[in-house]
Amino acid sequence: MSNENVLLSIKDLHASVEEKNILKGLNLDIKPGEVHAIMGPNGAGKSTTGYVLSGRDGYEVDSGEVTLAGENLLEMEVEERARAGLFLAFQYPVEIPGVSNLEFLKAAVDAQREARGEEAVTSAEFLKMAKEACKQVNLPVSFLKRGVNEGFSGGEKKRNEIMQMMLLQPKLCILDETDSGLDIDAMQVVANGVNSQRDGERSFIVVTHYQRLLDYIKPDFVHVLADGKIVKSGDASLAKELEEQGYAWIQSEPTEDELED
Amino acid sequence: MSEWLQQAIARADSIQDGFSDQRAASLALLKDTKWPTRKTEAWKYTPLRAVERTTAVAKEEPAELAPVAIDGVDFLELTFIDGQLISLPEELPEGLTVEMQESTLFGSIKPSRHVFGLVNDVLAADVAVVTVAEGVSIAQPLRINNLLSEGSEGHIRVVVELKANASLSVIENGEGYGATLATAFTEYQIGAQASLEHYRFALQVDDNVAIGGCHFKLLEEAKLNSSIIGFGSALQRIDTDIIHAGEKADAKLNAIYLLDGQELFDLHATVEHEVPNCTTEENIRGIAADRSRAVFNGRIHIHRDAQKTLAELNNRNLLMSNKAEINTKPELEIYADDVRCAHGATVAEIDKKALYYLQTRGVSRSQAQLMLSFGFINELIDQMPNEALAEWVRPIIRDRFAQMEVK
Repeated sequence: MSNENVLLSIKDLHASVEEKNILKGLNLDIKPGEVHAIMGPNGAGKSTTGYVLSGRDGYEVDSGEVTLAGENLLEMEVEERARAGLFLAFQYPVEIPGVSNLEFLKAAVDAQREARGEEAVTSAEFLKMAKEACKQVNLPVSFLKRGVNEGFSGGEKKRNEIMQMMLLQPKLCILDETDSGLDIDAMQVVANGVNSQRDGERSFIVVTHYQRLLDYIKPDFVHVLADGKIVKSGDASLAKELEEQGYAWIQSEPTEDELED
Repeated sequence: MSEWLQQAIARADSIQDGFSDQRAASLALLKDTKWPTRKTEAWKYTPLRAVERTTAVAKEEPAELAPVAIDGVDFLELTFIDGQLISLPEELPEGLTVEMQESTLFGSIKPSRHVFGLVNDVLAADVAVVTVAEGVSIAQPLRINNLLSEGSEGHIRVVVELKANASLSVIENGEGYGATLATAFTEYQIGAQASLEHYRFALQVDDNVAIGGCHFKLLEEAKLNSSIIGFGSALQRIDTDIIHAGEKADAKLNAIYLLDGQELFDLHATVEHEVPNCTTEENIRGIAADRSRAVFNGRIHIHRDAQKTLAELNNRNLLMSNKAEINTKPELEIYADDVRCAHGATVAEIDKKALYYLQTRGVSRSQAQLMLSFGFINELIDQMPNEALAEWVRPIIRDRFAQMEVK
């Protein structure tokens, strides 16, 4: 049953990669405007969740239901999910030499506006928007001319992801270990970017291994994912407990290694 | 032996009275050369049916044609039409000379093993010799146009010498309309510490048969930066030879081929490292669509004395149809023991991760494929030193992609 107040609904989701079960009965409801943190040990299925929701090849859904704003997400192509309002910020954004960042961003915005029946933005208008977004995430405007993520540092790639989020204005953002490899300053820039997009409607799933990002992006709920399902949920204080005590007290059995990337 | 070659020899015989010793020697060699077949290694994947069946003939009077305009680039131009030299630059900057003669360099850089090279030796009526004096940098690029009108056969030959410390940019522009046949060979000698920026474009090719080569001899600390961009046709064959004859010479070659329909394109790139401490970097990328066929042979030969050589050869290909064909063969022959050498050749489909990444941003799969294929080529266009030329060629490549995509 889809609830009108729920933006994302995941029901008993089972998924596998190369015939290996990774998600084993994931349940999660997210309402508009909420920020949910998903934490958990390596191999629990955190990144897999993002890939399955976005529709990546090779991530097979075995059973379960997922709806976004009432629509069946699992029946859509990757690009249709994006156009329906799903955004995945990658842990390891892909480098695409030869395709300029600006061309890439404009193609993405054009495709989404067209799908929503909105008017196309002119190149001049778009350049202005993109420059503004660059400023917000503290990326030099010259990065628009460079190949997508080509030669960007880890922090620059993450900021580029946040910039895409700002331009695409999704309904639901999944941040996949966006904090990994970032120093405190870079993390703050990313967190400020995310916080600037919190408007009471847009929802976030913040996937992270460490609690520290959650000092900057305050979650409404914290879930612990272990061995493919949520084993504990709580408020922001749960993250602190995990930081102090680790995951061992939640799961007695070791998890299977997960195949990621 | 093909009828076409017999006729070429007969024509050479009829004019040989004025031949220099070098051209006479080429004619003798040509008479002794076998017509390449499928068993000839250098022509194994490149059938010569298009030459054997050509209807092109040498014209007495050249047609009226103008080379393609390129905005934003101020050229000096040397124009051949239907194999005849039509125009020289009106005013030459100081230190640059263009003369019609057979210089002492004629034939000394270009290898003599090539049957079409020999035909060119004997039939290229006007040999243009371009010289840049010692220490002179020519700011304006020199464009060498080789234009062929419908049904025409032509043979052109240019010899370019950069004396020590000189620099020059050369653009070789081949344009053929309808069923034509051309051989076009250019020989470059790049003097000590001299620098050559080089381009060769074959973008207007119709049903052409075009066979030719660019041959570079680099003396001490000479620099070469070459970009070759070609579309396929009935037959496009380019042989590039880079000869490191002086220490610390540096050569970079980027080549792109984009093939559609039943086109054929063949690039044979040879590098001779004869002396120590030289570097070579070659990036060759191609896309074959529909029922086209690409042939790439990249040979790097490091001689016994050529220690401390750095050489890299990379050939990457995309297949856009399961009827297209790519034959790629990198060859390293290393006789020195202290060198760094890498080579690779791949034939692949589009990077799935990059495709997925674009799709997660809402870009359709088909558009993402187009963007990535273009990006694969555009990466090399971005590296062209002359930005105005890059700006000119980029939309032409885009149009080509649009055509390739339709099928």
